[in-house]
Amino acid sequence: MVKAVRGVLVECEPAIKSILVHIDSTNNNEFIIEDLDETHLFVKETMVHLLKQKLEDRLKETYRPEEPLEDSE
Amino acid sequence: MSVAQQSYQLSEYLEKLPGTTFRKLYQQPSTAFAIFRRMLPPLAKVFVQALLYMPSPLLLADLDVWVRGEGKMQRDRALSILRSLHIIQITPPGKDKPQEMQLTTNFKNSLRLALEGGGSHNSFGVPSTLPVDPRIDIAHLDNYARKKWEDILHYVVNSVPVHGEGGGGSFGGGPKASVKDVLLIGHLVERRHDTRGGVSITQAGFTFLLQEANAQVWTLLLLWLEAADRANKGAANAANAAKTDSIDMLSFLFMLASLELGRAYNTDALTDPRRNMLPALVDFGLIYIPREDTRQYFPTRLATTLTSSASALRSVSSGFSAAAANNPGDASSLGTTPDTSAASKGAIIIETNYRIYAYTSSPLQIAVMALFAHLNLRFPGMVTGRLTRDSIRRAIGFGITADQIVSYLASHAHEQMVRAAAATGRPVLPPTVVDQIRLWQLENERMRTSAGFMFKDFDSLEEYVSLSAYAEEIGVLVWRSDKKRMFYASKIEQLRDYLKSRKKAE
Repeated sequence: MVKAVRGVLVECEPAIKSILVHIDSTNNNEFIIEDLDETHLFVKETMVHLLKQKLEDRLKETYRPEEPLEDSE
Repeated sequence: MSVAQQSYQLSEYLEKLPGTTFRKLYQQPSTAFAIFRRMLPPLAKVFVQALLYMPSPLLLADLDVWVRGEGKMQRDRALSILRSLHIIQITPPGKDKPQEMQLTTNFKNSLRLALEGGGSHNSFGVPSTLPVDPRIDIAHLDNYARKKWEDILHYVVNSVPVHGEGGGGSFGGGPKASVKDVLLIGHLVERRHDTRGGVSITQAGFTFLLQEANAQVWTLLLLWLEAADRANKGAANAANAAKTDSIDMLSFLFMLASLELGRAYNTDALTDPRRNMLPALVDFGLIYIPREDTRQYFPTRLATTLTSSASALRSVSSGFSAAAANNPGDASSLGTTPDTSAASKGAIIIETNYRIYAYTSSPLQIAVMALFAHLNLRFPGMVTGRLTRDSIRRAIGFGITADQIVSYLASHAHEQMVRAAAATGRPVLPPTVVDQIRLWQLENERMRTSAGFMFKDFDSLEEYVSLSAYAEEIGVLVWRSDKKRMFYASKIEQLRDYLKSRKKAE
């Protein structure tokens, strides 16, 4: 019997995907329903926001772009 | 990037209504006509027109003769829209009988009536025979509607937590309490005590703010209909609750949309529930009722453009959409949008070093700019600021897109910038700035999300192939994997119907 499961499809680069999978595995697998392919994940609808936040935090640790220039005023 | 809760649109609202509601809606010729005019793509219109005077149902197979082979996709999409709006009926596929299609009875009768002009349905309004005050002309109505609508936008904008000197300023009056309630119920703003006015804007509110005026009107009206519906359910037990039926309300809106701007209509010809809607519509600025004579009502441009694609009143946000409608990459064609409202005249100068100078003192425009720019100095008639990574990221966090920001800047560019660009043959906005805004957005879009449904556990390969092919045809397929026999679709309603009709056919 065919099933339709509600959820959110996440598309991202493979590098980001591996971070997402890692976040999921260190949080009792409460985000990801299914790992689809290199660039797609199927995620619980209620958890997307939190997952996004966790990714943002993780990226902040490693990534610091410079502001283009300082303000002189 | 986010599962941005898209503001409510008419088509989504209609799709969710049950068939019985459509039957009721289509009893009114102006509704059938408005749906035909506004909601259908050209090919669907052609089908409807062809079917309109056809005495007997058309064989679905015959339709293939009309459509070239390569147009199959458009054909299926047109049919799917017509079905979801309950305009056509298609008999379920059976072994003994070929599939047939025809217009639904009410829609057919009403559209015929609308075209031929017969009947006494009064669904295109009853003009008032009373003398009309000569001061009430189109300019007066436009001013009135614009003021009402800008009051509402001001209220939403002013609920933004203000950074520094940026936005704000005084605004008089504001919308009526009933309008504020609708904004609150629709979660365009939410109650908070740390901002001026006690409310704060939500993400849906930002999206609302940047919509085209016409879409804004619909968003608000649909929120209002829903609120009325809920109130009805609550009051259903009360003995003599004046029952305003949301179906009738929607019909009334479609009727308003078919009225003529600048003409007076007769209030007495309306049914009681519809007359009860008038005060709320006055608050939204959709109609105008002279204070000294309430027997007449005048539809404003906000109302008469509800179902047309002609642009409604110019507002702050109109720049966004007018520009976005053009090719977003083609910056040189932007900035020439004709503006009538003083607030939206080109005032912004942006330099290659991300500095912004805006010659304006309109609190509305300043507040909108404060959404995506870091404003630091304010002079009489001018503000300065700059675009920074943080200011753009904050805007994107609110649900504003880079394209919206770029379009806004382009369509509000100072004429000096437009002139200089035209003289040198370069785009109005400095390309470095435009690219950087887009890059800042990309940085934020490390994961793209879309809400919908995963279809899996198919009984057979054949079932998977046919359903996924159907999903692709009607344009809801987002992702598929033949290996896993799974696919992801953005909508479920029509796929469910398709499965049901397959089951029946078996």
